[in-house]
Amino acid sequence: MSLTYLKEAVEAGDTEKLIRYVRLHFGDGNEEAGRKEIDKAWVEALKPLLDVPPTDRAFVLKTLEERDVATLAHLYFHLHFYFVKRSGEWIHDGEL
Amino acid sequence: MTENSDDITELRPGLWDTVNDRYPGSMITKADLIPLAKAAKPLSASRLTFVSTSGVQRRGTMPFDTVHPVGDYTFRRVPSDSKPGDLEIHQLKYPTVGAKRDLNVIFPIERLRDLVNEGFIGGLTDNFYTFIGYNMDAERLERTLAEDIAAAVEAEKPDVVLLAPA
Amino acid sequence: MFLPFMMGHHFGVPFHVELQKRIIKEALRRIKLAENSGDIYHFPMTWAQARTEGKEIERLRVG
Repeated sequence: MSLTYLKEAVEAGDTEKLIRYVRLHFGDGNEEAGRKEIDKAWVEALKPLLDVPPTDRAFVLKTLEERDVATLAHLYFHLHFYFVKRSGEWIHDGEL
Repeated sequence: MTENSDDITELRPGLWDTVNDRYPGSMITKADLIPLAKAAKPLSASRLTFVSTSGVQRRGTMPFDTVHPVGDYTFRRVPSDSKPGDLEIHQLKYPTVGAKRDLNVIFPIERLRDLVNEGFIGGLTDNFYTFIGYNMDAERLERTLAEDIAAAVEAEKPDVVLLAPA
Repeated sequence: MFLPFMMGHHFGVPFHVELQKRIIKEALRRIKLAENSGDIYHFPMTWAQARTEGKEIERLRVG
């Protein structure tokens, strides 16, 4: 099953298998589409910062300090999809 | 027992290879088929419940976790008297183009009520049950989600369960 | 029961009430008619047929 596949990849340090899995997740089974989705998320995250607006950095630091790593990892996936959606270009069949 | 399978009849030859390539190791089969149960009553006297992987849920409830890389192992109760407008879909992996216009193409809640009114089905349980199909840990799914839904369904004492993927 | 329909459309096409009911009825009839666990019944309709009928229904709805 897939979780075994992923855990074996972690054990073996096979990062290519792991990143491919993430790309497939973001691309709904299409690795190249997933690669573009991840890039798109970073581009969309960059844009709002270009004018250096004030941000709630205390919140960010507090969140990083106080939340467990699994919650932060989950948030990381949420943020990627959030910025993908914010781009206005939605390739997925369904909805978040 | 749940395990990977290489030697089972495929409805569409080659499809499993494609899916396994896209979602490595995800195509599984059950080695222990459950014996057929005989219906105790005619359908017209049976209470039916519906279990669906459609990700349909009541508006305002915690959305299914469509972003988690390993899936969401929770289910939602959907009152069987809900109006389609009371419901929404949270999932990423199947086309909702039809369901957005008429939810019944994936979650036929109005059609099931029609069939009760026509006497084809005796009645419906108070709730139907939904989850999302993007669950990459089949063992966890079997141990938690499947058991949880089975317990919830059993508590409503249906005579018949209609299962549908999305 | 296996339907050769588009994903997300296992009960047919929008507003095709009769097809949606027919699919449920056929599925439920398997309770009596299935002989063995794991038997697969192929619903005797193509996706193209379902879409054609659906388009006609939509045309009448609009008209």
